[in-house]
Amino acid sequence: MADSKEPAKPKSRGRRVKEGVKGVFYGMAAHGHVTAALRTRMYLEHLFMFITLGDMLGVPVIPPYYSLRILPYAVPNIKSWKQRVFRERDFTDQVF
Amino acid sequence: MVDILATPFLWVVATIALYVVAYWGYGKWIDRNVWRSDAKKATPAHMYMDGVEYFPVSRYVLWGYQFKSVAALGPILGPFIGITFGWLPALLWIIGGNFFIGWLQDYGSMMLSVRKEGRSFGPITYEFTGAKGRTNLLAFVLFYLIIISATFIALIASFWNAFPGTFVATLGILLAGLLCGQLLYRIKMNVFAVTGIGLALVVLSIYLGVLFPISLPWGAWNLPVWAFICAIILYAAAVLPTPMFIQPTNYLAFYPAYAAIILILVGAVITPFTNTTIQMPAGPFLFDPQGILGPIWPILFVAIACGAISGWHSLVSSSSSSKQLDIETDALPVGGGAMLSEGLLALASLIAYMVLAPSFFVGRTNVTAWVQGAVVLTTPMLGGLTAAVLRTFFGLVLIIYALTVQALVTRFFRLVAGETWGESRFRALGNKHVSTVVGLGVPWGFAVSGSWWALWLYFGGANQLLAGLAIMLITIHLARVRAPTRYSLIPGVFMVVTTLSALVWQTGTFLYSVWAYLQNDNTWVLRNVRGPIQTDPNLLIVAVAINGIFVVVGAVLFAVGVSMAIRLFRSYSRSVAEARGKAPAAADGGTREEESP
Repeated sequence: MADSKEPAKPKSRGRRVKEGVKGVFYGMAAHGHVTAALRTRMYLEHLFMFITLGDMLGVPVIPPYYSLRILPYAVPNIKSWKQRVFRERDFTDQVF
Repeated sequence: MVDILATPFLWVVATIALYVVAYWGYGKWIDRNVWRSDAKKATPAHMYMDGVEYFPVSRYVLWGYQFKSVAALGPILGPFIGITFGWLPALLWIIGGNFFIGWLQDYGSMMLSVRKEGRSFGPITYEFTGAKGRTNLLAFVLFYLIIISATFIALIASFWNAFPGTFVATLGILLAGLLCGQLLYRIKMNVFAVTGIGLALVVLSIYLGVLFPISLPWGAWNLPVWAFICAIILYAAAVLPTPMFIQPTNYLAFYPAYAAIILILVGAVITPFTNTTIQMPAGPFLFDPQGILGPIWPILFVAIACGAISGWHSLVSSSSSSKQLDIETDALPVGGGAMLSEGLLALASLIAYMVLAPSFFVGRTNVTAWVQGAVVLTTPMLGGLTAAVLRTFFGLVLIIYALTVQALVTRFFRLVAGETWGESRFRALGNKHVSTVVGLGVPWGFAVSGSWWALWLYFGGANQLLAGLAIMLITIHLARVRAPTRYSLIPGVFMVVTTLSALVWQTGTFLYSVWAYLQNDNTWVLRNVRGPIQTDPNLLIVAVAINGIFVVVGAVLFAVGVSMAIRLFRSYSRSVAEARGKAPAAADGGTREEESP
């Protein structure tokens, strides 16, 4: 049986150049838009988390019954949500 | 083949060779000996990875993103004013600025942010200079954004006025952007199919622009009307959701904008084969022979801003890019490499001006010069296309550069205004619509009244001063960790002193204009304004008022800049004194300090 953890073969020069050109093109044309879309989703997720967990934080946004119903969907995101919400933010973060 | 020395070819080769030395020689040396970047050290992208703001990205992607974010109208139009002193001083500043200051600032800002856990310049300024320093920076940035907006609105209006085919082409691209946004996000069409449709619509827009040129019939009032139309488009861009309008429009605009850069660069390299020779004189070096701008120092150093060094880049480098840097050693190719590439764009633009006759530059009002130069450089390659098509294409490229950046600037102003006034007594100014109207209305007033080169020098002064302040922040950090500071301190002091001097000169020019008016000499007052105000004798008092307002703007910019500079220099002195009492350390965020006894 072949070992599934064979070390990856080093990429050829041609392949590296191709990947580099693709990366530069993607970076120029689309990376900023992808990041902006991710940020928009982040703000929506913040809202979702706040609505869901608001009751437990002392801000009764929706009745506890619904909070508990939605809780399983919110739990996996709690760690990254906390990390993002507690992060120091500033107007200079909004440039790009 | 024409005499090679009469063409720009050798200058292109020499400049590229110097950029290579700047990157692989000076750049690598600074990276190794001053910042001591370490590929094994965890960057914020790995430490705080959240898949949204912090995540590692390949250096190629990040270079493309960084270059696209920093390259705009600055390196294209700056050389137009800089060439006043001759093409040789302009070229020397582009090379010297890039070599010693430009890349150092972009790379240093990125490294500083990486070493400070991916924080942007606001919190770093707070840490180094306190709450007042941060408020000072906020005030400065607000003024800076208003000046940028005024300059870009004035230029877009001038371009629409000068190139009748470009308005329909611009509208076509905006509509194509709206349509592509709907296709992408509502219909969920494949991105390649949307790109194909979008590009076909861009080509169609240029064709329609050539077929249906639009010229307004109101003479001197054309520019205010064009500027108003521009403000309406920017208002929509600032308040509509980004995926609906700005994102797809910027995406489509990317293709013609970068095609134009490549065409001009190739055109500049093949000049010996196309018999394109230098027409402009290399001098006169020290003063503007037309008596408009003033002495070479400090004016040249603020006229050519983004092509040599730009404060805007420091904001970009310390914002998204630093949070997505995979390994520390990528900072040099991403930050420094992107800046040197922008230096190439400035070089290509300067060459587009060098091949034109000096008559194009009389009065500093012929904003069509770059387009004419681009047509001269590229016609031998694209002989099949008519001059009308090329003029519309390159004119459209100028507008695209200005419009896409200005849309982001207006949006940024809205966000900064919300941050500044959202919780204060003036919370109405933080409202989305009110702040956008203010952020466009005030610049519109400046744009339709002040001459564009006067605005450009204020823009350059503010932009370069921000660069000087950014370099001082970098220097303070290096002093705190006991790394060599002279390589950033000298450029930082040079930029701060030069730009403050330029602001004093510009403010003094406006002040002198008002004084000359009081002595019954109207020429100075009228020289600094444009459009109907310049030509209508009944509006003379308005011209005086505008000169007075520009005195106030310059004085405020200067006062805020001086205040910020004093705080930074004090912080630097404190940092040096504190660091002297500590054991040797490196520019690695201070870990060696902690380890030392």
